[in-house]
Amino acid sequence: MQKEFMLGNEAIARAAAESGVKVVAGYPGTPATEIVDLCGGYPGVYAEWSTNEKHAFEVATAASLTNQRSMAVMKHNGTNAATDFLMHVNFTGIRAGMVLITADDPGGLSSQCEEDTRILVHNYAHLPMFDPSSVQEAYAMTKAAFELSEKTELVFALRPVMRINHAGGMVEYGAAAPQSRPAEFVIDRKRFVMSAVVEKESGGELRPKMRHRWLNAKQDELRALMEASPFNRAEKAPGEVGFIGCGIGYAFLKEAERIHGAKLPILKLSTLPLPEGKVLDFVSGLKKVVVFEEVEPVVEKLIKELCFEHKVVLEVLGRSGYLPKEGELSTNLVLTAVEAALAGKPYPATVQGQYVSARTRTQCSGCSHRGLLVALKEVVRKNGGVVTGDIGCHDAGTFEPMNLQATIYCMGSSIPMAYGIKKAGFDKPVYALIGDSTFFHNGLTGLASAIYNGGDITVVIAYNSTTAMTGFQPHPGSANNLNQPVTPIDPGAVAAAMGAKVFRCNPYNVEETARVIGEATAETGVKVVIAEALCYLKFGREGKISFTPRQVAVDEAVCNGCGLCVRTFGCPAISLADNKAAIEPSGCNGCGVCVSVCKRGAIK
Amino acid sequence: MKFDLVIAGVGGQGNILASQVVAKCAMDAGYNVVNTETKGAAQRGGSVLSHVRIADGEIFSPLVPAGQADVLLGFEPLEALRYIGLLSKKGTFIINTAPVPTILANMKVDEYPSTEQIVAIIKDKGLAGHFLNATRAAKELGNVLLTNVVMLGALTAVSNVLSPDVILKKLLTMVDEKFHADDSRAFAVGRGLIGKEG
Ligand code: SF4
Ligand code: SF4
Ligand code: SF4
Repeated sequence: MQKEFMLGNEAIARAAAESGVKVVAGYPGTPATEIVDLCGGYPGVYAEWSTNEKHAFEVATAASLTNQRSMAVMKHNGTNAATDFLMHVNFTGIRAGMVLITADDPGGLSSQCEEDTRILVHNYAHLPMFDPSSVQEAYAMTKAAFELSEKTELVFALRPVMRINHAGGMVEYGAAAPQSRPAEFVIDRKRFVMSAVVEKESGGELRPKMRHRWLNAKQDELRALMEASPFNRAEKAPGEVGFIGCGIGYAFLKEAERIHGAKLPILKLSTLPLPEGKVLDFVSGLKKVVVFEEVEPVVEKLIKELCFEHKVVLEVLGRSGYLPKEGELSTNLVLTAVEAALAGKPYPATVQGQYVSARTRTQCSGCSHRGLLVALKEVVRKNGGVVTGDIGCHDAGTFEPMNLQATIYCMGSSIPMAYGIKKAGFDKPVYALIGDSTFFHNGLTGLASAIYNGGDITVVIAYNSTTAMTGFQPHPGSANNLNQPVTPIDPGAVAAAMGAKVFRCNPYNVEETARVIGEATAETGVKVVIAEALCYLKFGREGKISFTPRQVAVDEAVCNGCGLCVRTFGCPAISLADNKAAIEPSGCNGCGVCVSVCKRGAIK
Repeated sequence: MKFDLVIAGVGGQGNILASQVVAKCAMDAGYNVVNTETKGAAQRGGSVLSHVRIADGEIFSPLVPAGQADVLLGFEPLEALRYIGLLSKKGTFIINTAPVPTILANMKVDEYPSTEQIVAIIKDKGLAGHFLNATRAAKELGNVLLTNVVMLGALTAVSNVLSPDVILKKLLTMVDEKFHADDSRAFAVGRGLIGKEG
């Protein structure tokens, strides 16, 4: 055993490599992203960025069916995209050990939504899950998940939260021992063909029902495993009020206990299904328990059910009403709840904090998206059009000061929503703004739907050759995959092949971009504008940029301080001081976009 | 022994490097260390908060609980204000008074409080510490990017959990050799600023 400081994601990758993982597939998403890259660094491990989470899940499962250990990596809303597959692989089961990493982001610190994938993976798909309370435990659980998955023939899921993925701690670890096993694919259609086929052996029952029965029967085996699992344990202390910490909730609870200053009866629960015997044993004699979990009352409700079935009467408090129902837990929240529960009082109403000027997210200074956003804004200002948005760095165009996109939902929503607005009878132009990685993730099918159904929209694809927002992962439009150089798939060529009219522009050239979008708007049907310029932050470092740098400055004699360049544009390098615009040279990369923003021609 | 440090700043100010230096020194000294960062996406200019927790026993939460930090290093005054609630009543703050305006404040849709206001609010809370202009000191040394090193130097003047020599040595192992002379000077200047601020 060696000991080293590791981030949660490093510990998970390390554990997977030590478990002999052979194939790792994922799609970037905070906070899980780094795991895939790190796995790729271990010898003998094949890692890839799939185009979306569903495909990552499928690739990893196929590897497991081929007798190789595998792992699929995604963030919570990525798991939503993979749900269709999830609801089948739970019925078929797998062969070699397979782990699904589904990272949650309580509080939505870096996400479009706040959700709890335990509901999806456990309550809905009935698969087992581990919920780590520390980086060390994330390591241990990943290793255990591979073993148990292989033993039970079920996908095991690890649900780390942001505070695990991105936290660092000392981790005791072992040696990477890649197992070499033959890549065999044994055909077993009865298991791996999910279809409404009549099963003779089961008296003519249909296969989906038979496999459902198989999955349900597995639950007893899982419960027995969790009962024996070291990840669940009780810490005895006197008192009639007990506290249950799930995953990171346990870490906050232990911290709160230390500040509180006296030992508390604590049950650590980190698995689903629950270790029912341990729970019943813990609650016996207690009058009340408070459950701390991220984010939904999953364990709380299971405990209520369990107590009801066993005719155990006690108060079970938690996320369903006692504690705040939304947002992240914290030590202070837990401490407040512990003290309130011990005093027999309700959780105190949260007082709204004092607002401290926010730092909103925006694009980097010199980002090509800003030119695109400002050009598109100019077009819709004139024609009253609406822009539906998508996920990526450009989504900050919805905030102040750009205020452009009118909707943002999930990956790929922009295109179907745009043509839906038209189908509803909206008579002004509608634009879908989507990035290249998102286009390949879940935009292709939306575009096909738009073309097939005779949509009349302009789709603008911001083609910057990387998945910038999550830290520059390559995608099918890039010149490399995770392992080697490749020929990029040009989204324009794809759109043209589907039958869209394709236009091209360089978003650093605002006039050209506005003109091209205008030309596209004038055509009928589905038009696609490819706004192509490399991500400045990534490729600028490599000496590749898509503009000719120029020195810009504000001509104070011409500037009348109207503030347009600040209030409607928002390049971080520009500010207003003493009623004149000023450009901070150290923050400016000379992209020249702002020159088109000042209508007085004061920026030169 | 427990030492909880939070470093509040703006993306690009180098507070992650500073927190790593402290974390690594603590590990070398045989302590248990847990840390995490809260920050936005790839873009610069967002609020960044680093937590470094050092103890000789077990540490559970990667986040420093409110009211528990022994030292709050504020690389930027507004960010220090945002997270001042993390500082213990018995703790010490060191706050760089040079503001980095927010985009919303630049646009005049939001107000960036004056340094006087920020100082007044923090003093009102009855907390003890030091206000200093690390950015100006770094600029005088010829490079605004030395701000984090000035702050790190200042930290070693208020806390003796880790020795200044150890911290400086560790920092130098983590940066390119061509910066060693500048970093050493900035570190010394930062140490010297404590107690001399007016
Ligand atoms: S990371 Fe790239 S795409 Fe994202 S805002 Fe910065 S320059 Fe633009
Ligand atoms: S530079 Fe142009 S847009 Fe900006 S404040 Fe001056 S006149 Fe207005
Ligand atoms: S100030 Fe103008 S030229 Fe400089 S980065 Fe911003 S938009 Fe580009």
